[in-house]
Amino acid sequence: MTGKIVELYSDADLARLERRIWRWRMGLLVLSAAALIACIVLAAMASTGTAKQMELSAIVVSTLAGWIVIYGSMFIVTAGRRELAHAQMLREEERTRQEGKPALTGQRVRIKKSIVARRIELRGAGPVRTAMVSENRAKALEKAGATAVYTVHGYVAAYEVAS
Amino acid sequence: MKFLKNVFSQLHTFLLWALVSFLVWSWIFTFVNDAPAAQKVTVYCNVPAIEDTALAVKLEEHLPEGLKMIQVHSFDYVMFDTGTIDQGDIFILPQSAIEDYDGQFSPIAGQEGTLIYDPATGQGAAMSYIIYGDEPYYLFLGAGSVHLEDGLAQQIAQLLLTLP
Repeated sequence: MTGKIVELYSDADLARLERRIWRWRMGLLVLSAAALIACIVLAAMASTGTAKQMELSAIVVSTLAGWIVIYGSMFIVTAGRRELAHAQMLREEERTRQEGKPALTGQRVRIKKSIVARRIELRGAGPVRTAMVSENRAKALEKAGATAVYTVHGYVAAYEVAS
Repeated sequence: MKFLKNVFSQLHTFLLWALVSFLVWSWIFTFVNDAPAAQKVTVYCNVPAIEDTALAVKLEEHLPEGLKMIQVHSFDYVMFDTGTIDQGDIFILPQSAIEDYDGQFSPIAGQEGTLIYDPATGQGAAMSYIIYGDEPYYLFLGAGSVHLEDGLAQQIAQLLLTLP
């Protein structure tokens, strides 16, 4: 007997993730362009008397904007794209049902060029089994009160709750 | 906490970007705020302290036709690149340093140099911008200056000598 199946990443989640990535990419693009234009304007406006101030301003603007773009690209856009790819893989590929109540372990795994995952234990009547779940969804999964999970290549794709 | 952890994990990237930013914009501003030797007069001052930017701005207030800018540098530039001494237009040197540059300067108004600061009287030119040491200072025109023939080097030197 199966209960209600809840997708770990719903269609709405995927759409929200896509929109978030797009917004950040556009934002970073606009910031880069604005910083570059600001620095060019500063260079164009510089005269003998103001050159040192303008140079310092350009260095500060360029450095701060660059840091924001680097941070956003690495930790928001790239991480978001990886999570999206992971989520799409979970939605598309064949699943395996495993019974047991998910419990988080302390083990984190950074998968190369993919997400950071948390290892979970599936505790039930039988032997304890393990699976992995995206770190961003791990706590939600634990709190959901699932009685079984559906995995793709060992990663939780959906879970079952009593209907 | 996660933010700081992320930043520290890529600290080398952030530092590298700051360095690249500094080098690139320093180079661009040096390039943008320069002009060909024919369109600028460069003044090198071997003095204890100088407000180089303020002095250059003051001299540019009376920029003769044909010039785009005046550059004023401390003598450290000459130490870093000895080639600049051949291209400098105006030099301000203490008496004790003149021998080191024997033959590098062009006579101005028939003299080897013009006294620009006299410690005996405490009187000197451009004292609002230059702090002189305890010895006489002289102004010279560079022998390699491209502005000897057009008289612009002499013109700026005369202007410098009249500054308070």
